[in-house]
Amino acid sequence: MFHADHYAVIVVGGGHAGTEAALASARMGQKTLLLSHNIDTLGAMSCNPAIGGIGKGHLVREVDALGGLMAKAADRGGIQFRTLNSRKGPAVRATRAQADRALYKAAVRAALEEQENLDLFQQAVDDLIVENGRAVGVTTQMGLKFRADTVVLTVGTFLGGRIHIGLENYQGGRAGDPPANALSLRLREQPFTVERLKTGTPPRIDKRSVNFSVLEEQPGDNPEPVFSFMADRSWHPQQIPCHITRTNQQTHDIIRGGMDRSPMYTGVIEGVGPRYCPSIEDKVVRFADKDSHQIFIEPEGLTSNELYPNGISTSLPFDVQWELVRSMKGFEQARITRPGYAIEYDFFDPRELKSSLETKHIEALFFAGQINGTTGYEEAAAQGLLAGTNAALKAQNKEAWCPRRDEAYLGVLVDDLITRGTQEPYRMFTSRAEYRLMLREDNADLRLTEKGRELGLVDDKQWQFFEEKREAIAKEQQRLKETFVRPNDLSIEQAHELLGDELRKETRAIELIARPKSDYAKVTSLAVVGPMHSDKPWAEQVREQVEIQAKYSGYINRQVAEVEKSKTAEAVSLPEDIDYALVKGLSAELTEKLARLRPQTIGQAGRIPGITPAALSLLLIHLKKRSA
Amino acid sequence: MSERDTDTIAAVITPPGRGGVGIVRLSGSLAFSIAQQVASKVPEPRMAHYGPFIDHDESLIDNGILLCFKAPHSYTGEDVVEFQAHGGPVVLDRLLQRCVASGARLANAGEYTERAFLNDKIDLAQAEAIADLIDAETTAAAKLAARSLQGEFSERIHNLVSALTHLRMYVEAAIDFPEEEIDFLSDGKVAGDVELLIEQVETLLAAANVGRVMRDGMTLVIAGRPNAGKSSLLNALVGNESAIVTDIPGTTRDVVKEQIQLDGMPLHLIDTAGLRDSSDVVEQIGIQRAHDAIAQADRILWVYDGDADPEHRSFEESNLPPHVPVTFLHNKADKTGRKIGLDANKKVFAVSAKQGEGIVELKAYLRQTMGLEQTTQGEFLARRRHIDAIERALEHIRTGKAALHEGLAGELMAEDLRHAQLALSEITGEFSADDLLGEIFAGFCIGK
Ligand SMILES: Nc1nc2c(ncn2[C@@H]2O[C@H](COP(=O)(O)OP(=O)(O)OP(=O)(O)O)[C@@H](O)[C@H]2O)c(=O)[nH]1
Ligand SMILES: [Mg+2]
Repeated sequence: MFHADHYAVIVVGGGHAGTEAALASARMGQKTLLLSHNIDTLGAMSCNPAIGGIGKGHLVREVDALGGLMAKAADRGGIQFRTLNSRKGPAVRATRAQADRALYKAAVRAALEEQENLDLFQQAVDDLIVENGRAVGVTTQMGLKFRADTVVLTVGTFLGGRIHIGLENYQGGRAGDPPANALSLRLREQPFTVERLKTGTPPRIDKRSVNFSVLEEQPGDNPEPVFSFMADRSWHPQQIPCHITRTNQQTHDIIRGGMDRSPMYTGVIEGVGPRYCPSIEDKVVRFADKDSHQIFIEPEGLTSNELYPNGISTSLPFDVQWELVRSMKGFEQARITRPGYAIEYDFFDPRELKSSLETKHIEALFFAGQINGTTGYEEAAAQGLLAGTNAALKAQNKEAWCPRRDEAYLGVLVDDLITRGTQEPYRMFTSRAEYRLMLREDNADLRLTEKGRELGLVDDKQWQFFEEKREAIAKEQQRLKETFVRPNDLSIEQAHELLGDELRKETRAIELIARPKSDYAKVTSLAVVGPMHSDKPWAEQVREQVEIQAKYSGYINRQVAEVEKSKTAEAVSLPEDIDYALVKGLSAELTEKLARLRPQTIGQAGRIPGITPAALSLLLIHLKKRSA
Repeated sequence: MSERDTDTIAAVITPPGRGGVGIVRLSGSLAFSIAQQVASKVPEPRMAHYGPFIDHDESLIDNGILLCFKAPHSYTGEDVVEFQAHGGPVVLDRLLQRCVASGARLANAGEYTERAFLNDKIDLAQAEAIADLIDAETTAAAKLAARSLQGEFSERIHNLVSALTHLRMYVEAAIDFPEEEIDFLSDGKVAGDVELLIEQVETLLAAANVGRVMRDGMTLVIAGRPNAGKSSLLNALVGNESAIVTDIPGTTRDVVKEQIQLDGMPLHLIDTAGLRDSSDVVEQIGIQRAHDAIAQADRILWVYDGDADPEHRSFEESNLPPHVPVTFLHNKADKTGRKIGLDANKKVFAVSAKQGEGIVELKAYLRQTMGLEQTTQGEFLARRRHIDAIERALEHIRTGKAALHEGLAGELMAEDLRHAQLALSEITGEFSADDLLGEIFAGFCIGK
């Protein structure tokens, strides 16, 4: 039976990817349906209760700059905020919030319910309707059929999941949830390449059984950083600290004693786990000389009694988990509320996606989130937003959009996935971004909000805020450029404070800010310069921005030049019907690789491992010949 | 498509080997401005201009012919400049290096033809051959590169790359994993390592030698006992009577400096006073000057009178600095009848300075000792690529160190080190961000 309504975009799955996808498409004015097997789990944080971190916080800010939800929900639900790398430079500073699961989920739910053009429907999706190679709808568990111009699948939380605890294992999705098996089977019939990954979680602990008095406390920052450009501290609920404990020699002995029943070390698990998130048994084996590991104890919420001991992800048998937990300081009497486990699951090779996240095999079908081999809420949310946007564009027959690598971490994420694929759950790190100095948390709005507005993702309120802020930055920069500081404007002490030296000649205030020892506050406190007067909510962001741009300008100019060079390659597109066998001079190996991966541009082709500059020359020559 | 790639490329386009004339070609937007710098003139398009090609320090590289072609009326369709110089590999290399230092980059295999085709300068029929050409040149370049990378040089480059990777591993780990108790940026580890790395690169460059020797040339000091025939040898090498020759021991009192070219590389020759104990004040000063010159030498030509001192016993007592290489020149072979040239043990080189016998052979021998002989021009250029990459890497590492010292955060240093690695990966192949992460995860216990 067909449902009466026809949708522009159907989003399947209500995790972080699904919710951002549905919201994005609806913001763009497209009639959107969000299908989830359980409406009550929309916006659930299924793994550890934190948002942001190095690289990830950058993605959250980009989602925010494009009108997305994640940053705002984190501000509503965050119970401990910190800026990581605060002693390093602004490009690698990142915001991280410990979130209250319930508050976070409530914020997501509220946003979904308030969003115009968006319908929610609870029902598991069992099948995809494909006609003439194009996705045109989905069939739910009870046989209900929904039609749409485009479909976004974000059902990655553990497709074909298998959970391991010790040598026991069983089918399952995220602990407690059923795996999406019917859909998984149907997708396996399609021409996608399916691969398997593995990840793990730690056992959860009852807060009331922990002796906090002996534990090191880790408070949030004061003042608290704020996630969304549009938010302020008043959005934050009550703030509470995290704690730290450590493993010890005894813990490690217990772990070694349980190794003969580890699914990983006995070969039961085949999937590849993330290198950056090893299980505790992995750490003990591989870094045998390290006699202790840090464990961050994260609260699950203000009203929850559960704790998330970050750092002891494990799939050892339950009796070993129990013992190892109790061997640690503060945990002597700890009670486990849920056992830790490893889970193996399916993902689809993301090299079969276009940069719009549309699949190359089935038109109008988009994939976002864990289904593409990524891990993390932030990676999922960013992809969701992009897939939702492109699904909405496609429904209107408009050209797809994806930020370039120099424009956004989102661009890096997608480009890495589609050109290199992944062998482990992919998560963002700043070292993946070659234009790291340009891609900062602080300028995510300057990089993306204008484009977001053009796409219809950014509402009037955010746009006005942004325009005022951008104008104020330009004005302040102009003022500091036109204000000169002369040697006799400075006392010897002031000069020393600013320059560590005397001021030799008349200098622009903006140039003084750029000096290593100096900063915005010091320079604007000079009588000749004076402060910027504004009580607008963006005033602090403007001051920060002016300082950062001044300090980084030399390096940024160099990166801009680098970007300019690469742009030409990005602009040359490779037709979909190109026959690589006809490209003269190309080795058999590269011909096969290109034919399989079908990059969209010369730039993408160049980033595929193994493709040489000579091969790119041959491609350019072939293209030219074709067009002749 | 003419708006694509506007960077200026440079290459020696004449075939490798010691031809009479060699051509360095530039193509791209900077071509004319580089011509202006090198030849102090940009002649009318298609008009030949004869004049000196000058290095950045004003020294003469060569005299030659300059030709300019204005876009689109050129082989590639871009602004093109051709320098025609004398064909030795050193001259051409200096010229090429000069262009690169002025903003060009070394061209890839087949790149001129590729540009020509993409800019509609050659038709489809002609273009059919380009793919083969690129293929062939890439293979040939790879072979030459592999050959120039053999032995000790290769091992040192690999050590260098792994030291850099190691350093980056620390820097990037400190940035991406600040909660992991591994902040090497603040504990001085990185600052110390970068210092060592710079030293390592500098030593490598010095060993690779080509860079410095070709720019500054080599200094050869002619030393020996009075009357051994030093001044005669200088005159024979230079080809005129610039030093006084008599049969009176102690004729030369001051140092006599001359310069000749070997394959375009400047060779500074210094004739000195014969070494002996002397009570003559003037001669004493001259001998002191001789010792000073010897201390600065890249190589000593120890001349001895083969007739009077066949075992060159005199050498032992003359207390020369230990680290300077020495060539023993058995002079007056016309008298001793010794065979001209290098002896079987490769220890002694016999000449007759007075008769001019063995001088050509001596020059060939000197070429060889400077590492210029056995390399063909192709290998020479392949090596040039490597040295070019290492020099760029060094530059980046130095800026990175400065950024760290200015108290700026580690991400600026990280940026410079990334560029350094990018430069070196031209030698060693791609090194991706993911490879780096792999190093980090293998090296440190990371992860919650
Ligand atoms: N037969 C012969 N005589 C030589 C040769 N080279 C130099 N002589 C002679 O040896 C004498 C000394 O030559 P010089 O070149 O002045 O020797 P020197 O080493 O510069 O001597 P001082 O400057 O006095 O230290 C001259 O009479 C030369 O003609 C040679 O190859 N064969
Ligand atoms: Mg003499």
